[in-house]
Amino acid sequence: MTLSVHNFSSRVWFGLLTLAPILILPVLVLFAPPDGNERAQLLQFFGRFHILAIHLPIALLAMVPVLELAGRSRRFPYLLPSAGFLLGAATCGAIVAAVLGWCLARSGGYSGPLVTQHMWGGLAVAFAAWLCWVFRARSSESHLDPVYAIALLATVGLVSFTGYRGGQVSHGENHLTEHMPAHLRTLLGLPASEISETVSSNGGPATFYGARIQPVFTGHCIGCHGRAKHRANLRLYSYNAVMRGSKHGPVIKAGDPQSSKLFHRVTLPPTDDDFMPAQNKPPLSSGEVKLIELWISAGASGTQLTDSVKDLPSDAAPLTAVAEVNFEQFDPVAIAKQRAGLAPIVAQLQQRFPGALDYESRGSADLVINACLLGSKFGDNDLVALTPLSEHIVVADFSGTAITNSSSSVLSAMKRLRSLRLMHTKITDATVQALAPLSQLESLNLFDTPVTPAALTVIGQLPKLHHLYVHETKISPDAPMSEAMKEKIIF
Amino acid sequence: MTNSKANRQNPREPASELLPEEMYARLQAQTRRHFLRSFTAGLGTMFLGTLVPPLVSSSMAGEVDTNGMRRLDFTRDPKSPLAALPPQFAPRAKRVIYLHMAGAPSQLELFEHKPELTKLDGQDCPMSFLTGKRFAFINGVPKLLGSQYPFHRTGQSGPWISDRLPHLEKHIDDLCLIKSMRTDQFNHAPAQLLVQTGDARLGHPSLGSWVLYGLGTENQNLPGFIVLLSGGNSPDGGKQLWGPGFLPSVYQGVQCRSHGEPVLYLDNPAKVSRSLRRSMLDAIDEINQESYAEFGNPETVTRIAQYEMSFRMQMEATDAMDIRKEPDAVRAAYGSKPGESSFANNCLVARRLAERGVRYIQLYHWGWDSHGADAKEALNIGFADRCREVDQPMAALLADLKARGMMEDTLVVWGGEFGRTSMRENRGGQAMTLIGRDHNPGAFTIWMAGGGVKPGITFGQTDEMGYEIVKDPVEVRDLHATILYILGFDHHKLNYSYQGLDQKVTGVKPSRVVADVLA
Repeated sequence: MTLSVHNFSSRVWFGLLTLAPILILPVLVLFAPPDGNERAQLLQFFGRFHILAIHLPIALLAMVPVLELAGRSRRFPYLLPSAGFLLGAATCGAIVAAVLGWCLARSGGYSGPLVTQHMWGGLAVAFAAWLCWVFRARSSESHLDPVYAIALLATVGLVSFTGYRGGQVSHGENHLTEHMPAHLRTLLGLPASEISETVSSNGGPATFYGARIQPVFTGHCIGCHGRAKHRANLRLYSYNAVMRGSKHGPVIKAGDPQSSKLFHRVTLPPTDDDFMPAQNKPPLSSGEVKLIELWISAGASGTQLTDSVKDLPSDAAPLTAVAEVNFEQFDPVAIAKQRAGLAPIVAQLQQRFPGALDYESRGSADLVINACLLGSKFGDNDLVALTPLSEHIVVADFSGTAITNSSSSVLSAMKRLRSLRLMHTKITDATVQALAPLSQLESLNLFDTPVTPAALTVIGQLPKLHHLYVHETKISPDAPMSEAMKEKIIF
Repeated sequence: MTNSKANRQNPREPASELLPEEMYARLQAQTRRHFLRSFTAGLGTMFLGTLVPPLVSSSMAGEVDTNGMRRLDFTRDPKSPLAALPPQFAPRAKRVIYLHMAGAPSQLELFEHKPELTKLDGQDCPMSFLTGKRFAFINGVPKLLGSQYPFHRTGQSGPWISDRLPHLEKHIDDLCLIKSMRTDQFNHAPAQLLVQTGDARLGHPSLGSWVLYGLGTENQNLPGFIVLLSGGNSPDGGKQLWGPGFLPSVYQGVQCRSHGEPVLYLDNPAKVSRSLRRSMLDAIDEINQESYAEFGNPETVTRIAQYEMSFRMQMEATDAMDIRKEPDAVRAAYGSKPGESSFANNCLVARRLAERGVRYIQLYHWGWDSHGADAKEALNIGFADRCREVDQPMAALLADLKARGMMEDTLVVWGGEFGRTSMRENRGGQAMTLIGRDHNPGAFTIWMAGGGVKPGITFGQTDEMGYEIVKDPVEVRDLHATILYILGFDHHKLNYSYQGLDQKVTGVKPSRVVADVLA
């Protein structure tokens, strides 16, 4: 054996081992480029570390020229040998960061020229760092090899370029200039201010876009062109996202439906390969296509109001038929903040009345009290304990409890009550009289209580009440009452 | 053994320098030992992981579910696994009474008025109805069958209804009819499983279990999910219809009887006092606690909680189930007679349970499988009896809930597991003496009432023969999503990590909340 592996020095081993991934990575970038699709979770998991890993080689590479210069001064000669080690470490770091970067770009739904440039930049940095490491052998303490010096400068330049592109990918294209002071802007010849998207267009429900166009996209397109999955890097979940276009550029050309790619693709014959929605998903109705055409012709605005667009197609669904529920999302931190003031009292009362008191929902600081399961064990003295929470209780059920008229002031302090149940209790007209301040009350249940028709006058003045339950009371269907009351009362 | 030979080698020597035979021997020894030592343990762990999912998987599952959304936290103190939890968002109803007509009632004899079908009664069924379809019993070319009962318009909302439900008809303006329900199962057991658990196969939690898991129950002295049977038989789907599936078994439905002991063996045996029973339970609890401390199996905690609940139930369940405590007038309204196992009694019990804070009350009434093979189920005989059995109690239940203001926070659902064909059944290709219809998974009718559902509307539409849906189809999973929405949940978020998936009652196919039926 003439060429035994043992003949290689460790330096050559390191050089070959680091060159291998540098040569493999371009193949990956060429044949498995980022295409805007989301992929394997694991790949994404590793990819996310790219942003963490990237800072190490940046800092190391930036330090190398400093060490090379400082090490040649008389004060810090001991720094010079460390520059070589640093360069090796930076090369390794750059390779790791590049691999992770590819993982992120490939799996995280990225695409477009910014990412491509950033990736090639990253590869170039790794390769340049490797070259520097090779050429550094030609330098010595006394002599700084010019090829090495140039390579090092080029590497630092590449790091800056790649880092800037990376910043644009993650923080937006204008992340450096966005908050630049105005006089510096003019000095650099930049426009006086960034055009704020949020001010110029919002696509709210009163706008034609929000009411008519977004529902079409939401109904047909966002499965593949949404937040999570965005084929071709096209996102159709909001006005701004639509106008941002795809990796091939804008898809809407204001005023010109025929030149708008989005319109073109939905109006092709369904057999065409480019027809959208793809994969035999239900096509847009002719009315929906017409709506999009009208919207683009009218300037593809996000602020134009609904009623300002004329000639709506006859088969466009009436607005009320856009029946979709919005699941309320909540921010646990904000909710915790809202609850902070009352949480200790709530916790204490939950101990005292197990299972009777809780928040209306996970996303709310409003309270619901249901004392009916405590039955006669719950009396006026217990109800008083709820006083500190009066303003937060929206639904209250005291059915079958031992509360009496002496609780009326506590009840009347629960000003936000929507529903109040007093079934099977001893309360009389006196308590009902006290309920007059409950302006939010929608439902009042007096089933099986000693109330009389005299209570109806006060009840009739509750502005929001729409249900009154009086079965098994002295109020009979023949009792004199207003027409409005007849609508609300349930026997 | 080859080991001794391997051991003679200097352990520091790199493996590549060994003779291939030596390496092989060493590897063999190692892989065997490796397998025995770590792999059996690994397999055992995996097996245990599937056996004991609740605590293990919930603690392993991250903050974000497989849909990439923030997970809702359903963990509770193991000692009170049924503790009430607030819903995700403000609910429209806090409890459900589900009236399941086991065997699938004919929509064409109750809610689906199809004059065109009546006109074509007795004619051969068009081939387009038959190609590509599977039937339980229909063979060859059956004849079309018009409705067996006259229809009329009713109520202010004005839907058509047959003359079989005169009592329910009075509440028609409170009902939301969904005429475009669809399923993909055409046999009773899998179809009932699909409607009740969201999956046609065994092993999935029933909707009631999901609701109990999500919301817990207000009354800790009663089960949160109670099942009542009537009609003389259990539904074909069996107890799995109210089973907990992969959820902890504490969330299963408890089947109660409406006469005699509500729960078998709940009462103390003769000469056993309540205090003796208490001390016995204390002893069992102690042993169970030790077992839990040693093995950490959450099912042990479930067991302890169940014993304790049974003890508390001795008092409360008997009272809740005792319809003799209702005034005569109320019993008469339901048509209930104490001591029977009837739908009427069960409806009355359902109301009593709802008042006592039971979260999910499931009634099954058996006998709606109107093939015409037997007088007991034929459309012209047994079917009419079934209608009589359920009509008055259902109406009384609605009236009672309404008078007590409970329609505001109770969702009532009525329906079967699929529909029935527009063709007359011809079992074995022969004309039959009695009149019946075969199973039709393509379209059936259900109704909902209360709980923030739009009253007095009809949603969805079938063709002129009542055979296929032409407008607004509602899948079973859409119904489940809608029910969960009414209870204050996004159906994606009421999930449970099991077998590597965040399982949901609506499964993995896309499902939607039918917003059109919500008020």
